[in-house]
Amino acid sequence: MALHKLKDFHTPGSLDEALDFLGQNSEALVLAGGTFLHGLEARGLMSDVEVLVDIRKTASTVDVNDSAIEIGATTTLARLLEIPQITEAPWAAALPDALFYPPVQIRNTATIGGCIAASCPFFDVPTALLALDAVAVVRGAGGERKLSLPELFGGLFANTLEPGELITKVCIPRVSGKAASAFLKLETNANDLAIVNAAARIVVDNSGICTEARVALGGGVAEFALLSSSAENVLLGSKLDAAILRAAGQAVVDDIAPMSDHRASAKYRSAVAQVIAHRALERAVARLI
Amino acid sequence: MKQMMTLEVNGETHELSVEKDATLREVLRDQIGLIGPKRGCDSGGTVHIDGKAVYSCLCYALSYDGAKILTADGLSSGPALHPIQQAFIDAGAVQCGYCTCGMMMSAKQLIDECPQPDEEQIRHGLSGNLCRCTGYTKIVEAIKLASERLAQ
Repeated sequence: MALHKLKDFHTPGSLDEALDFLGQNSEALVLAGGTFLHGLEARGLMSDVEVLVDIRKTASTVDVNDSAIEIGATTTLARLLEIPQITEAPWAAALPDALFYPPVQIRNTATIGGCIAASCPFFDVPTALLALDAVAVVRGAGGERKLSLPELFGGLFANTLEPGELITKVCIPRVSGKAASAFLKLETNANDLAIVNAAARIVVDNSGICTEARVALGGGVAEFALLSSSAENVLLGSKLDAAILRAAGQAVVDDIAPMSDHRASAKYRSAVAQVIAHRALERAVARLI
Repeated sequence: MKQMMTLEVNGETHELSVEKDATLREVLRDQIGLIGPKRGCDSGGTVHIDGKAVYSCLCYALSYDGAKILTADGLSSGPALHPIQQAFIDAGAVQCGYCTCGMMMSAKQLIDECPQPDEEQIRHGLSGNLCRCTGYTKIVEAIKLASERLAQ
């Protein structure tokens, strides 16, 4: 298309092969589903790329065990919707909520590792994964390390991976007790990126007091999707009644720095972020069993 | 610089020499000569790869060496139209026609996975396809009709 300097299109058949290749070609650009790269290419932002490494064949196994859901980085979004432990668990429900929004053509192509590596503040799945405390397992010449998503997101379209490193897995730790989560998106039409999105995960004890809370926001509320500790602090130790959920929604403004763009102004994002966070919390609470 | 690859497209095997940065849509249209995958927004062009609907504009061709591709051109292999194509005609679901091929490929994925979709499921299944004529109502009706005929 428009990669005029592209010299090599490499398609390793295994993770080791991909890492070996990246070790020797650290400037190579890693390609998974490719749905995001195309947008960058169309804007002329990839004109210097000389080597593409397509890693789709390297890491697409999903392992659901007692402590976590471990998802190979090149697992497609569509595949995740075929796994009952993901689609039927209230504590993980934010993920299938987020997977509902992208059209089938994207779900069949985009990968879970690619969507977080992109560090794009407008995507839906990363916001859900933030609320679920997901961890990226990363491998490179220096071995393996784990990055939380706040550690992975370095800035607008910039992750904190070192040259030659790859995300190999995304792990979602199980939560015990009475737990539920939810995701919600505000969009102008079914084909557009988020104006604002929000995800929440809550855990309550037997008397209904909130013992753990995560409230995540994305969609241009900052240069990357983020967790709102202010909202979480409102929820922790409280009974999750209507007033507390509303107050938690309002508290997100203390943690966001919304941008203005062709979709919405910063002022509008600031107003609707409170509403969408509130509704995501209500949706999660309604799922507590 | 070109690279060799193989694609099975609508049942026929093609040995192709493609530009390394060619999209699947460019190969299907410009090298094989198919007209099903359309270039509209440059990020669509719905085809099936190994039975799954994808945007051929977003796929680098070399990522799919050896894959089986189905385009709207190959929906019907004989003189009779595929039931989805026939339903689009019978329901009057075509205005300018530009979105029709993509709509039919999304409809096929939907009906393959969910043989009796209701209106909400049909609309959700089409959420990745745009009709600039905004003729969605008849497209939804056509897919409902196709699913009923296929179920018989």
